[in-house]
Amino acid sequence: MNWNFEILPDFIFNGLRDGAVYGTVALALVLIFKATTLINFATGELAMLGAFFVYVLNVEQGWWLWLSIAVAMAVSAVIGAAVERALVRPFDPDDHLPVVLITLGLFLIINAVAGDIWNYQVRRVNDPFGHFPSWVPNGSELKTSSDGTIACLKNADGDLVEVARGTADAEMCEMVGRTFFEVVGARLHYRTIGTWIGLALALIALAIILGKTKAGLAFRAVSSNAESARLVGVNTGRTLGFGWALASVFGTLGAALVAPALGGVNPNMMLTILIYALAAAALGGLDSLGGAVIGGLVVGLIKSVLVSWFGVVVLGQAYFSILQLAMAFLLILIVLLFRPAGLFGTRRIERV
Amino acid sequence: MSDDNWPTPLPRPGDDDDPGTEAGVFAVFAPPDDPPAAAPLETDEPSEAAAASATDEPSEAAATSEPDEPSDTGALGAEPSGAGLSVRSGPPAASGVGTALIGDGGADRVVGSRRRIGPLSWIGAVLLGVWLVAMPLTSSVTEMRQNTQIIVMVLAVLGVNIATGYGGMISLGHGVFVAVGAFAAAYAVDDLALPWAISILAGAAFAGVIGALVGLPALRIKGIHLALVTLGLAIVFQPLAKRVPAFSGGVSGRAVGAELVPPSWFGTSRWAEGLYRYLICLAVVALAMWLTHNLINSRPGRAMRAVRDNDTASAVYGVNLVASRVSTFAMSASLAGLAGALGIVLVPFTSQESYPFQESLVLYATAVLGGLGSLWGSVLGVAIREVFSRIGELLGGVSGLGPLGEFLRLLDEEQFVFGVLLVALTFVFPRGLIGLFNRRRDAPAPPSDQNLKRA
Repeated sequence: MNWNFEILPDFIFNGLRDGAVYGTVALALVLIFKATTLINFATGELAMLGAFFVYVLNVEQGWWLWLSIAVAMAVSAVIGAAVERALVRPFDPDDHLPVVLITLGLFLIINAVAGDIWNYQVRRVNDPFGHFPSWVPNGSELKTSSDGTIACLKNADGDLVEVARGTADAEMCEMVGRTFFEVVGARLHYRTIGTWIGLALALIALAIILGKTKAGLAFRAVSSNAESARLVGVNTGRTLGFGWALASVFGTLGAALVAPALGGVNPNMMLTILIYALAAAALGGLDSLGGAVIGGLVVGLIKSVLVSWFGVVVLGQAYFSILQLAMAFLLILIVLLFRPAGLFGTRRIERV
Repeated sequence: MSDDNWPTPLPRPGDDDDPGTEAGVFAVFAPPDDPPAAAPLETDEPSEAAAASATDEPSEAAATSEPDEPSDTGALGAEPSGAGLSVRSGPPAASGVGTALIGDGGADRVVGSRRRIGPLSWIGAVLLGVWLVAMPLTSSVTEMRQNTQIIVMVLAVLGVNIATGYGGMISLGHGVFVAVGAFAAAYAVDDLALPWAISILAGAAFAGVIGALVGLPALRIKGIHLALVTLGLAIVFQPLAKRVPAFSGGVSGRAVGAELVPPSWFGTSRWAEGLYRYLICLAVVALAMWLTHNLINSRPGRAMRAVRDNDTASAVYGVNLVASRVSTFAMSASLAGLAGALGIVLVPFTSQESYPFQESLVLYATAVLGGLGSLWGSVLGVAIREVFSRIGELLGGVSGLGPLGEFLRLLDEEQFVFGVLLVALTFVFPRGLIGLFNRRRDAPAPPSDQNLKRA
């Protein structure tokens, strides 16, 4: 047992960063589940498509990264709404079987098409949160150590922490130094902060859309009771299309945020993330938007702290690293077995 | 009783193995509160036919009972349905099984009304027969092996069909059982040096045990939630299997040393070997289908379907829910495991690489495409999938058509063709292709599926 608490904050930050991504994708799942009590198995693939749009616009066409992400989100919204209109709406909304098949078919189609167009290699993307903007003060400084090699040192909380040694030059020092802060002895990467900011902005936007706009009100009405909503004049079809569009936007955001951390985009990038997102959605309660976010963060923490830190570092068992996926699966299983409504979901009472 | 939103989330198929499906519709019009002498479960045809009426019955019972005033019908199942209407998540179709189990009402009308075999079914049967005979005679050794693999795949699809179509438990993870069956059979025949026959059975049995374990959560988790869990299993399986090299061969897979060789009188050419394996596989598939057919139409099979239609009511009527659900899942998994075990007879190599989770989705979708709740639906599903993938390959081979050629190239991707097929056929035949064969002139439109409806 090696209780290495010094590196624990690192694992916590990483877990919360991954968790924010899972939460974002889980939001996409929950938005659709809330409206139709349907799990969209193609969520991950739609998100992957969105990440590829970002790649095409930004890397291939050379657009400004943020504009690429915004355009990709808009295009995803259109695709989500189109999928709902063309493939989902024709079916009886109360009958799950055909729609499950449709989403499975969609999954296979999108995966195959993306594989055909971009093949299955990982393609590098630009990181929206790679380095702090230059107006953020950079605490790193260059020092020459006693043996003559150059070391890049970063000052935080009064401590000097070594970042790179040997070949480090001033430019490199500046680059590396701008990727993270030092907080309680751990590195808080700009990418992590950016992911949190992305999730927070998305949540604020979602709260405004659902709380303050007419379309959001209609969405809440339909997800609460589709029949009654229809009776009071809500256009349920259009509202569900709106929900799908919104879900696609969140999926794309999640995929765009996670792509740099995965090393790039590839058609299978969302497979494992989908499982974590499903675990997050199940844990938070499949019909709770806040629950999805909290579930995502908890899943990220469990994965990082419980499995990676406790299993690999403390217990010293390297095989724990492969149990991350199994952990997500077990979590889904346990939650659905013992608390099907999750932490924050609506408990459903069944009477016979 | 579960806290689940989908009380009985089952596809409600037209059981074509079931003589009297259509006749069951008439049973609806029999007053539910007028049960004649309760026929025991074992009674063969009538109760079975009445079981088929379980779909139709609920809609009527639900329609007649007022929300606030539980109906006073004698059939045990009808009462809950009245109560169910008043709550949001109540099961819309809580009735039916009671009638189904005691063999109520229209049962007597069923006797003698055997399902007529339509012309389409004849054509299909003849085509299948001709293909089974002509295929080995006209194919090369490799083609014969590939075609035999397709035949074997019917078993895996049938496994999904048992769990989902007959048992009402959506399984998106049957590829796992195929893999487990293959690994176990390889282990038995190589590491334990057991004879092939025992190894194949061991593969099926081991998959069955794993299936029973997976079936345990299905006691509580139902509907789309179970789909989620089994999908998770399918996704998790591949990376996990990589880490158990002793069993799965790890990353590189395992080659199977033992070979199934025909007796000397059969011939020793590669073609004769292929033919021998084809015949063995065909015989095993046929035997498994026959056994499955008998099981479906026996007491456990009826219990299985009763649980699918309404678990609470079946429990009231003495069906052991735990035993029924677990054994259903075990059986369906062992069919998939059998497919995996036969797979290593044909190709003496197995690896987790061969069982990506998409494979599980494809198995599920094939079962639904063909038609759930029908043995021949599974055969049809595999056949249709194969035909279209061949057409796709043919079209994919065409080149030099500019942008159209780009699209045609996509048709070479089996996954793409299957996805499109899935979406297209879901529009045309939401309940599976087998409906095409069962349709009769006087048959009413199939009832909409009460069981998968959202409360």
